[in-house]
Amino acid sequence: MSSPKMIQRHTRAGIFIHWFNAACWFFLLFTGLALIQNPELNPLGAWYPKAVRAVFGGGANLLVAHWLVALIWLAVWVVYLFWGMSRFVAPFLNSTFSLEPNRDIQWMIKKNLQMTLGYKMMAKLVKPLGYDGHLPPQEYYNAGQKLAAQGIIMGALVLIGTGFIMLFSKYFFSAADTWLVQWSMTVHFIAAGVTTALLMVHIYMAAISKEERPAFISMFTGTVPAEYAKHHHQLWYEELEEK
Amino acid sequence: MAKQLGMVVDAGLCIDCKGCMAACKVANEVPGDNWRNWIKSGDMDWQAKKRGRMVFQPGNCMQCDKPTCVSACPTGATYKSKADGVVVIDRGLCIGCGQCIKACPYGARFRNEKLKVADKCDFCSSRRAVGLEPACVSTCPTKARAFGDLNDPASPAGKLMAQSKDKATQVVNAQSNTDPNIYYLGDAGLKSWPVKAQMPGAFEFWKNLADPAVKVVVGLTGLGVLAMLGKQLMLKNDAPPPEEHGEEGGHE
Ligand code: HEM
Ligand code: SF4
Ligand code: SF4
Repeated sequence: MSSPKMIQRHTRAGIFIHWFNAACWFFLLFTGLALIQNPELNPLGAWYPKAVRAVFGGGANLLVAHWLVALIWLAVWVVYLFWGMSRFVAPFLNSTFSLEPNRDIQWMIKKNLQMTLGYKMMAKLVKPLGYDGHLPPQEYYNAGQKLAAQGIIMGALVLIGTGFIMLFSKYFFSAADTWLVQWSMTVHFIAAGVTTALLMVHIYMAAISKEERPAFISMFTGTVPAEYAKHHHQLWYEELEEK
Repeated sequence: MAKQLGMVVDAGLCIDCKGCMAACKVANEVPGDNWRNWIKSGDMDWQAKKRGRMVFQPGNCMQCDKPTCVSACPTGATYKSKADGVVVIDRGLCIGCGQCIKACPYGARFRNEKLKVADKCDFCSSRRAVGLEPACVSTCPTKARAFGDLNDPASPAGKLMAQSKDKATQVVNAQSNTDPNIYYLGDAGLKSWPVKAQMPGAFEFWKNLADPAVKVVVGLTGLGVLAMLGKQLMLKNDAPPPEEHGEEGGHE
């Protein structure tokens, strides 16, 4: 296998926005969690916010850092969305929001069995169900990636909406509207929790699991080996071949 | 004993002149309809044969030992100072959610109309910083309010506490006793007005449902990822079924 044939998977703009987004998202997760000082509300208790506040020089600075990075993150996204709407964004949304239930439910079940038990055990388990030990072919994104992306996009929208309500409370809201701020905090927390769970799986799949190693590398170089595309994203590969 | 600033009030001396309320409003730039302190009084029973004396009860945030406002604050913007026992609000950290306002049995808190953050009495921290007493204490013509470290017999309030420990009473709602640090000498007058402390619905939902649910979801996901990692480390050569894998190439 000398110098395998490579195919383009990610544009430079896509790679940039992904890592920019990931960096901001981590910062926001770790500062946001530290904004919850109340030990009855913070899943980690009081030690974590205390430690982070010591680094930032107090809770008030931490709060400014959190919403400032959130605004920068959003501003960059808005530019990216307008600038790349037809070229990157629309195709991305098209491919992530197109699930085919039959194929994709089967893929999700089998992939999870394979990830936890291995191909051999999975083959034994699914035989009685009339499946073979094989995963249904996938498009540019597999079903797991699609679901993760959908969850992350919707989570991000909820985080943005509730975040703005909290940010605006101090500037525009009257005492009678503060119930909205209170529920925004609770919902912001839930959305952050759910997306964190999704991202744990995402990061495992992308950075740790061996099968997806070529995809991980492609998030830096932009290309994957044709062999990888053929086995992991067969439908996408065939589409490229037809062109 | 730790320092605990507080007040010992002789309601019998109060003449309802409301000088303390005006002085506070000016000293702390309290806007519009907002007030940091109050005078409570019951209704006089004008029909009664033998009319009692009207008692006026001056008050403000009680800098409680078990402050429900602090328990309600998500960010820690409201906290009880370790240095002097005053419950303070960090205006930079306060996001103006108003949870603490609902949680105070005394209605001592309000949303500052101008700043749109939580506000309340802090025993005039800016005046104390330059060595002055709280404005209400200085201004009171009958000296109904005594101020100072309740645990220090050398302070005006501490002296009264030491002298009349058993006579000094707190005004509390039995269902949510926050152990307030304003004590009243003799007859405090109206006692039934503090309400039961209430946490907002969003707070209860977060504490009782959202927090455990997020812990479970993130925890189980973490376990799932660890299981996959374990499998990855144990089954080093896990390949898809070979025959079918070979066939795959045939599509081209
Ligand atoms: C260490 C952290 C991360 C690593 C190593 C990582 C890695 C990757 C890789 C390799 C891909 C491309 C997958 C492919 O080509 O098939 C990808 C896609 C993606 N990443 Fe990340 N990522 C990280 C963090 C994040 C964060 C924090 C977010 C969002 C908040 C995020 C959101 C996405 C989305 C929406 C996609 C496209 C669809 C998908 O694969 O689900 N990533 N990531
Ligand atoms: S009186 Fe109300 S605002 Fe003041 S410390 Fe007690 S609970 Fe908090
Ligand atoms: S409004 Fe009250 S509960 Fe909300 S952050 Fe400010 S001090 Fe804390």
